[in-house]
Amino acid sequence: MPQKRGLKWALAPAAISLVLALSGCSAEDPTAGALPGDSLNATNHTQEITVLWNWSWIVLFAVGIIAWGLMAWALIAYRRRKGDNTLPPQLRYNNPIETLFTIVPLILVIGFFAFTAKTMDHIETGPANSDLTIQAIGKQWSWDFNYTDEDVYDSGIQAQNGTEEGIPTLYLPVNKTVEIDLQSRDVIHSFWVVDFLYKKDVFPGRWNKIYFTPTKIGVFEGKCAELCGEFHSAMLFNVAVLSEADYKLQIEKLRAAGQTGQLPIENSRNGNLPGDNPNVRG
Amino acid sequence: MATATLTAPSTGAVRKDKGRLVVDWLTTTDHKKIGYLYLITSIVYFMIAGVMALVIRAQLAAPNLSIVPTKEQYNQLFTMHGTIMLLMFATPLFAAFANILMPVQIGAPDVAFPRLNAVAYWFYFFGSFVAVAGFFTPQGAASFGWFAYAPLSNTTFSPGLGGDLWVFGLALSGFGTIMGGVNFITTILTMRAPGMTMFRLPIFTWNTLVTSILVIMCFPPLAAALFALGADRRFDAHIFDPANGGPMLWQHLFWFFGHPEVYILALPFFGIVSEIFPVFSRKPIFGYKTLIYATIAIAALSMTVWAHHMYVTGSVLLPFFAFTTMLIAVPTGVKVFNWIGTMWRGSITFETPMLFSLGFLTTFIFGGLTGVILSSPTLDFHLSDSYFVVAHFHYVVFGTVVFAMFAGIYFWYPKMTGKLLNERLGKIHFWLLFIGFHTTFLVQHWLGVAGMPRRYATYLVSDNFDLGNQISTLGAAILGLSMLPFLWNVYWTHRKGVRTTLNDPWGFGRSLEWATGSPFPRHNFTSIPRIRSESPAFDLNHPEFAAPEAKADAKKKG
Amino acid sequence: MRFNARLFVLLTVFYALAAVGYGLTSYYLPGTDNTGNVIAPENRHVEIIGTAAIGMLVFMSAFIAFYLNKTHKTQGPVPEDRLDATIEEGEAEIGFFNAFSWWPFWLGLFAAVAFASLAVGWWLFCIGLPFALIAVFGFVFENHRRDYAH
Repeated sequence: MPQKRGLKWALAPAAISLVLALSGCSAEDPTAGALPGDSLNATNHTQEITVLWNWSWIVLFAVGIIAWGLMAWALIAYRRRKGDNTLPPQLRYNNPIETLFTIVPLILVIGFFAFTAKTMDHIETGPANSDLTIQAIGKQWSWDFNYTDEDVYDSGIQAQNGTEEGIPTLYLPVNKTVEIDLQSRDVIHSFWVVDFLYKKDVFPGRWNKIYFTPTKIGVFEGKCAELCGEFHSAMLFNVAVLSEADYKLQIEKLRAAGQTGQLPIENSRNGNLPGDNPNVRG
Repeated sequence: MATATLTAPSTGAVRKDKGRLVVDWLTTTDHKKIGYLYLITSIVYFMIAGVMALVIRAQLAAPNLSIVPTKEQYNQLFTMHGTIMLLMFATPLFAAFANILMPVQIGAPDVAFPRLNAVAYWFYFFGSFVAVAGFFTPQGAASFGWFAYAPLSNTTFSPGLGGDLWVFGLALSGFGTIMGGVNFITTILTMRAPGMTMFRLPIFTWNTLVTSILVIMCFPPLAAALFALGADRRFDAHIFDPANGGPMLWQHLFWFFGHPEVYILALPFFGIVSEIFPVFSRKPIFGYKTLIYATIAIAALSMTVWAHHMYVTGSVLLPFFAFTTMLIAVPTGVKVFNWIGTMWRGSITFETPMLFSLGFLTTFIFGGLTGVILSSPTLDFHLSDSYFVVAHFHYVVFGTVVFAMFAGIYFWYPKMTGKLLNERLGKIHFWLLFIGFHTTFLVQHWLGVAGMPRRYATYLVSDNFDLGNQISTLGAAILGLSMLPFLWNVYWTHRKGVRTTLNDPWGFGRSLEWATGSPFPRHNFTSIPRIRSESPAFDLNHPEFAAPEAKADAKKKG
Repeated sequence: MRFNARLFVLLTVFYALAAVGYGLTSYYLPGTDNTGNVIAPENRHVEIIGTAAIGMLVFMSAFIAFYLNKTHKTQGPVPEDRLDATIEEGEAEIGFFNAFSWWPFWLGLFAAVAFASLAVGWWLFCIGLPFALIAVFGFVFENHRRDYAH
């Protein structure tokens, strides 16, 4: 009969899925809960993001196991036996149960919102004055970094030849509060540092700001995460978090290379802002 | 006991010459034929966009491949894959099922505006062709992503005829969808058979009504936004200029459409499985009223959550949208438990339609869970625009639309053609699809969390995304192959399938379409049974197990 | 029909609450703007796009609710809304439905030419517009002309 074979057949895909599920966990630190391993303690925000992530998955998997479990149980226990031609009781509703599975998810959702609101607030609100302010200006298809306090800049091009060749590196000193001001010279891009578990879109015509404190020395990958044209996938960058001394060294290297001053946002393809030049239509 | 009625052959069986056949289909105003036109056209687009997906997966199988010669062409591929799948496959598929089934389910001879129905189809047919015609232009089709974010979608950054055709083709196609929505609402409100009160409508018809309300609420803003973008591109307007806050304006307008659109995609297919679970569990749908209230709640809320697609822009009110988005999980969960409750203490068999419905439920539960993760801005800051989102939406959209589509096709095939599709081929189709789908998309959750952004034409060796992408590409190949048993099944059944003479071949059909001939008579019914519950055909064929109201009525009649 | 009018009244009320809620929260809630500066009380503003969009929904739902209410008042009780109605009570004639029509096809084709011509160029628009207009008029007046004239 089809139903018994169907159940045995269900084991194979279930097993495959389980294998796939577990394989993803092996390489990472388990306390990061499948988040990138390098994200552990990378900034002052990653801890609370990771905690929320872990707890959310625990609760969600519990809900999922209940739903899948009930489904599997129903399929096994209530399958039609061979030769059975009867009809089961035609139950149409059960108010207590329906109330239960409306109220319980509602409570879970309200709880989830409360935790989210708290962490969201921490992440998005920055200190009144950061130790360091940097402008990261996106353009097709790379980044300009203006170190406003030190009055030097750096720039890069898109990744060449399928490697990291040519991409810019943003230098940050460890354990100092950073404010990064983001804007675009042309289309919408997105400033994503994978191991910081954070991104913010980069818009033409206005500044976005992000605030964090890098707490781990290392080199972290950055990627553009908003479709921006042909070389979107090559618009990569690195973030190098260094000790105070090494950071100063890098800044001096930029100064020595003649990269003093700033690359102003006004040098953008999206010009014609109101009041620029009344003779230019736009 | 199913009643066996010998139905007269429908007029289509009369031998026609090919010319008359073509004219018949071009000039039809019969809702069933229009539904079949929608069904066939949307499945053709599904195959086309599916092939694009296979090319995309081939390109991503290893780092730095050049299977797609330029990254610009790759951008065209995923832009059109998304556009076709969402607006030329899934949305018209809703119109297909609604057209074929809804009038029969309410006991009407046709829809309220049959010619308008045909206009809606031809607007879809020709509008979609215009949008896709970009591929035949030298600079290629639109390549700015199916969201067409400004300013990437303006002529400075995406010049070319392909983008213009995309804009205006979709505008026309969207008008067709709006007309379809108006038609369905009017039909359901005004053409129900006597006794078919609103709370006796089958769930599929209810969901069609709610979906149509969503359509008339969200497609007009899309049309407006598209015309504004078209004006920017062609007539030198400055509506979406960055200086005017254009990029955010576009995003708000687009997502105000875009989010209800995904519920337009989901709700009709929820309706389809809500018809199938009761038949193969031999019990009525559990919690009929709460299901309807949950559907209305989902629709109402869905118009207030759009900016959860915009959390990372830094310019939306995060708490408001996080709260409303999380709230939507509650009625959705109610629906899932209602489906499980339908099967609970039932008498379940695993024919192909039931297998596909179970495949939907399994997949959708997981997609819903990842949706809850994404509803939190804290977690979405990392996951937005990554493969985690791609995995999530394929789980919910593919899991709902494609699995339920096949469930509906196998289920209602005898109603449409008079023949049942082969069960063995159906089961092979299901398992290949299920295995192929999960192999493709489950691993993409990890890829996204590990840092693979979406819409990337390739990735670096140092990213270590190789294994995940290889598994995903392998799954895509299996997924593609799974279409072959289905197509073979359709062909084989057409040539050698046995005609059924039963009104209710599955034996336990509940709604009115199972009380009329297989295939449908030209004007849907020669006679309509008395309607005293949401399962009139079941009450007719299984009077001992009929709904309480139906039993009371039968007793009164004596 | 009464339930349907009520359904749209429910939507009207819900969207009104949502519009007011969204307007108020977008005005009072943000402490800082996207550049991170604290928003001074005199610089607060309502997020106009979302508020207007949800506000439009209020008008749309109210409009439909009003119309359905009027229809229900004029119609009175109808067989399809009665729990004990029999099929025989249904109107024998529901309306007039064209058995077939060429006009939807032509309307679709020429509307597509007209829309595509906005992308392609004025020359195609000048060609397509007359045909599209003929198709629109033909479609609208089909049931008042020739065989269907009265």
